[in-house]
Amino acid sequence: MDRMEVVRADDDRDTYYINMGPQHPSTHGVLRLRLHLDGERIIDAEPIIGYGHRAHEKMAENRDYLQFLPNTSRVDYLSGMIYNLAYCQAIEKALEIEVPERAEYIRIIAGELNRISSHLLWLGTFLLDLGGITPFLYCFDDREKILDILDSVTGSRLTYCYGRFGGVTMDVDETFLENTAAFCTYFHKRLVEYDKLVIGNVIFQERTKGVGIFAPEIAARYAVTGPCLRALGQARDVRKDEPYGIYERFDFAVPTCEKGDCFDRSIVRMEEMRQSLAIIEQALRDIPSGPVMAAKVPKRIRPPEGEYHFGVESARGHFGIYIVSDGSDIPFRMKLRTPSFAHISTMPEVLVGTMLADTVAILGSIDIVIPEIDR
Amino acid sequence: MIEEKLNELDPAIVSTAENYAVKGYCYLHKLEVARLPEAAALFCEDGFQLEMMTCVDCRESDGIFRLVYQFNIYDIAQRHLLHVDLAPDQAAPSIAAVCPGANWYEREVYDMYGVEFSGHPDLKRILMNDDYVGHPLLKDFVDTAPQVI
Repeated sequence: MDRMEVVRADDDRDTYYINMGPQHPSTHGVLRLRLHLDGERIIDAEPIIGYGHRAHEKMAENRDYLQFLPNTSRVDYLSGMIYNLAYCQAIEKALEIEVPERAEYIRIIAGELNRISSHLLWLGTFLLDLGGITPFLYCFDDREKILDILDSVTGSRLTYCYGRFGGVTMDVDETFLENTAAFCTYFHKRLVEYDKLVIGNVIFQERTKGVGIFAPEIAARYAVTGPCLRALGQARDVRKDEPYGIYERFDFAVPTCEKGDCFDRSIVRMEEMRQSLAIIEQALRDIPSGPVMAAKVPKRIRPPEGEYHFGVESARGHFGIYIVSDGSDIPFRMKLRTPSFAHISTMPEVLVGTMLADTVAILGSIDIVIPEIDR
Repeated sequence: MIEEKLNELDPAIVSTAENYAVKGYCYLHKLEVARLPEAAALFCEDGFQLEMMTCVDCRESDGIFRLVYQFNIYDIAQRHLLHVDLAPDQAAPSIAAVCPGANWYEREVYDMYGVEFSGHPDLKRILMNDDYVGHPLLKDFVDTAPQVI
């Protein structure tokens, strides 16, 4: 790479190391980056992870399938609903359990609301990293509305355990549907405001355009997924490529950009919120009445012996659950493929040659969640 | 197609088509550990990405560690699973040179199972502390951390 040669320090120049983190406001958790610097320019970067390791995969091998259910939303606490439902769907697929229509629609609504709330938190904290405090307050105000809606039906605000094998725990009532519809109307207007306040802001553009470009070959080598990949112009979305649940019934676009810099990633996420709203509105229109739990769910969950993979599109990218079953009611092995792990492993390549101050923008724009990396 | 290319590489590679609707992947290939770097290179040349790589501790039932590589090509969403069986003390060849994404996954397998990867650029622990003793995901792992009462 010629870019690397340009920034290689000459032998007679002093270079130095700086530790960013583990307790740094812009690392959103306990992540340490050991940066080798020549002046303000990074010549080598090494992410050091594992500070938040909670051994979820080991826990999975020590309890039965149902007992692992509450763990799933703790893996990525920002899109906990999506992870929780993904795990339920993975087991349902292995056991071939039919989920009632109404439950499928509720899952779509809950999952997409969760995606918007995750993107809102990203938007707020990203701008906080860049030095803008006001949008953070706006985003948390809006996010609060989603949390209230989900709280009313799931009973929790962050680490949801709403899914069950064969459906969802609680049926939604008319108030939930009305509140969700009202939120959609409200949030469409808010997105226009965000566009003016943030995306159209010259300071924001100057700070993010051309910064932290993921070259397509880097994305391919490290299996980058989600908004980071779509910002490169590749319209890959698990919801479209390998439709799960009832996503194929919905009409939504996969937003993409061209350059793959921090600005493009922001645009993609803003547009994704609009698409999520469109999905929610269609689901609200079509949701049928009926039961929310399958009539016949085996009391003991024992997937037939073998290996299973189930992937979903989380707010950050492709989240995969790989289960090895030995036919008993405890998983023999469960591997959680998390998008942030793949994204942060690109950092040694992406950060080389960038300025120290841009590191903050790059980390913020790839929307990493540390517990998801460490598991 | 990749399964034909794998067969050309080594006719001893056993490829089985799987039920995608239930299992979530299209093919399962079982190969010898010596063939791993060439097979990984074949996948990468064909535009596949290494989605995930991990290990399964099958020492009790089969006396082996099973390395599991999951390749996917997003254009057609065709997921392939590779099985490589290792004897307990045997080192596996690293594929980080062919596929840099494997670098961290191999470190994780080393950290959690103690499986060594020859030719890895920087094989060290990734999730546990550097001075940690033991490999937590082994089935016979006993937690020796002091208990707080």
